[in-house]
Amino acid sequence: MMKNFKVLVPIITFLFISIFLYKGLYSDPTDIENANLQRPFPEFKLNDLMNPDKSYNKADLLGEVTLINVWGTWCVTCRVELPFMTRLSEQGIRIIGVYYDNAAEAVFSGVDLIQTQQDVKQMLSQLGNPFRFNIYDVNRDLSLDLGVTGAPESFLLDANGVIVAHRRGAIDERVWEKEFAPLIRQLKQGG
Amino acid sequence: MIPEIGHFALLISLVFAISLAIFPLIGAQKNIAELVGLAKPLVYANFVLLSVSLFCLAWAFYHNDFSVTYVAMNSNSALPWYYRISAVWGAHEGSLLLWVWILALWTAAVALLSRSLDDADVARVLAVMGFIAIGFLAFVIFTSNPFERTFPMFPVDGRDLNPLLQDIGLIIHPPMLYMGYVGFSVAFAFAVAALLGGKLDATWARWSRPWTLAAWGFLTIGITLGSWWAYYELGWGGWWFWDPVENASFMPWIAGTALIHSLAVTEKRGAFKSWTVLLAITAFSLSLLGTFLVRSGILVSVHAFASDPTRGLFILVYLLIVIGGALTLYASRASQVVSTHRYKLFSREVLLFINNVLLAAALLVVLLGTLLPLVHKEIGLGSISIGAPFFDKVSSYWFIPFSIMLAIAPFVRWKQDKFSRIRNKLLPGVFFAAVLTLMMYLTLGVDSFMNLLGISLAGWIIALTLYELFLTRSKGKLPLSHWGMTFAHLGFAALVLGIAVTQFASVERSVRMVPGETVELNNYHFTLAQVKQVEGPNYSSYMGEFSVTNGDEKHLLFAEKRYYKVQSSVMTEAGIDAGLWRDLYVSLGEQLEGQAWAVRVYVKPFVRWIWLGGVLMMIGSILCIADKRYRKVLSMRCAHEAEPHNQRGEATGQTASSN
Repeated sequence: MMKNFKVLVPIITFLFISIFLYKGLYSDPTDIENANLQRPFPEFKLNDLMNPDKSYNKADLLGEVTLINVWGTWCVTCRVELPFMTRLSEQGIRIIGVYYDNAAEAVFSGVDLIQTQQDVKQMLSQLGNPFRFNIYDVNRDLSLDLGVTGAPESFLLDANGVIVAHRRGAIDERVWEKEFAPLIRQLKQGG
Repeated sequence: MIPEIGHFALLISLVFAISLAIFPLIGAQKNIAELVGLAKPLVYANFVLLSVSLFCLAWAFYHNDFSVTYVAMNSNSALPWYYRISAVWGAHEGSLLLWVWILALWTAAVALLSRSLDDADVARVLAVMGFIAIGFLAFVIFTSNPFERTFPMFPVDGRDLNPLLQDIGLIIHPPMLYMGYVGFSVAFAFAVAALLGGKLDATWARWSRPWTLAAWGFLTIGITLGSWWAYYELGWGGWWFWDPVENASFMPWIAGTALIHSLAVTEKRGAFKSWTVLLAITAFSLSLLGTFLVRSGILVSVHAFASDPTRGLFILVYLLIVIGGALTLYASRASQVVSTHRYKLFSREVLLFINNVLLAAALLVVLLGTLLPLVHKEIGLGSISIGAPFFDKVSSYWFIPFSIMLAIAPFVRWKQDKFSRIRNKLLPGVFFAAVLTLMMYLTLGVDSFMNLLGISLAGWIIALTLYELFLTRSKGKLPLSHWGMTFAHLGFAALVLGIAVTQFASVERSVRMVPGETVELNNYHFTLAQVKQVEGPNYSSYMGEFSVTNGDEKHLLFAEKRYYKVQSSVMTEAGIDAGLWRDLYVSLGEQLEGQAWAVRVYVKPFVRWIWLGGVLMMIGSILCIADKRYRKVLSMRCAHEAEPHNQRGEATGQTASSN
């Protein structure tokens, strides 16, 4: 009897561990992704990228469905995304940019604000300018509050400033039709 | 087109794996030669198919085919070609494809090299390996397909490979590690096949020994490479972090070490039979558990970049089937195994038994430490983290009895011995341990008790291992496997010595430096000559040029801070002057105001010995495998055991059908 029990120890131990492995699967940090949704856009007070005398806060984002696009001139994928974004804005979607300054980039090429503004101007005139205005997230505090991991990232806000969709990486026609367009139709009907 | 061929090959391979798991097994149990004969062709075909598949993925990477999602996510046209190839296993999907390919490689090797074994036995082993392959192939195909396309909208360029992985260490580290992980599947398959066939005798131990040694050697070098990579790439001079992913590779290694020793006892003395089977199952189960922990992202770690609960659930179900199945089989069959072999209290068997108990204890501690944070959270006690301090403390007690036994065991005879016989032979160990300790105390000023103890135990092992070699050598020519043991034991001593010295005697300074400035550390003068800008293929970099002088000694070190454009991340490349007695290590930190840079400088004595230990252990395993007796034993067995074997085969057939 004793001997029979001994050989059962490994399988019992293994099954016991498996229970925790199973439970652990569904409480892992990937839930953060969804926690980001249905959450009010964080409060902030930041300056305009092109005109540092002008400042914005959350109230400036309210009132209509808005797409917030986190981007930077240093970001290759953003370049690819810009023409499509411009088409969206021509269709009447309000797009507001959050300019994500890359601290590493700043270290490397020693860029200052004037240089950044020139780069932005040049890039937007080449590829199209979808932005009503650009918020300059100089210390990346807003990006941190938003949980941004890189650029580009986009957040769709409803008229009350609640985040209803979030995309890491570029938005193209396919992503837009699948993830964003239905939501916007729904929001406009509801409102 | 090429990616579709790869995908197609993968699908056919799944069909073949399913056939491999079913037909040869039926053939072996029911004595149908045609079905048994299917095993090897299926194995070879599977290997070819998976090679084609892997090649297709590499092709897509090489030709920058960004219409393949996996390529677009993990490569970039500016990436040098060798990193584009190694990017194949740079993330989740591709590394799993590599995993199944390596499994196919091991399976083919078993099929090829086991020609002298009984066909039915080999068929069982191959069928078990085919069964293992089904799960992973299905996992790749249904949840992690590397050939998925981005049509119709594909990106102009890829997102680039994680810069951490753009390094020579990372080109070879994962394949080596996987060779080790997956290699344990051979011992596992032999054990399960022995349980299935009801032949739990010393022969299965003899067959699995070289395979286990090979897998263990690969795992050893894989872990060593990982540690070396972390040391120079992460930029803060550490070499082991007790990170969950490191533990995941360390646990199969501990089980494998125990298995190698226990297999020796089972083969030579017929003892520990059921324990050895359990260890063989455990070693591979831990490899699978490691894969689960890494691939499900269940434990947060710097290494885990692919995490998805469905994927995790898939692997978990698979673990339940494979590990649960094997352990259930073990529970139902192992209780019938009786070890008739007898031995006295002081014998090599007992010393090896203690070795196994200590290794099992170490394994449990690492397992507990790795999984406890998870359990803690799940039973509602909140998040905790168990890190290096816990593991360091436990392992520093553990290695004392382990090292003492390790040096004595080779002197002790099988079955029974007297301590008085070997007592005098241990004197050189005591003497050399004292000398080495005194030397380290005088030259490097080591004066902490635990570190001195580590040094003296390393000295004890080195002296006794060499003395034992000398005594046995004087009696006649030594088999290669004896040399193998010597190398592996010396490797362990080198590891202990490296840890004990470097942990105590390493010094570091964090300083602010402008070009032309000098800092002094342990008589070494580090001067920052200049910082210049350098352009790499897919990064721009600031390269700090340091000259280090100590008397007549003069070295030039280059520490880099690289900015990878596509992933917009910054990596450090430490500047290292490596030496057997000390490493000089410089890493460039942030740029400060003006011309100044934050710089960290280290002098790390004996740090190389840690990896030297790993290399020696791997050489040890190679020497053991190269030993002639495996080939001789196998061919002898064939002629000599043909008859009794058949009888046993029939007896098994009866047992199986009556079950």
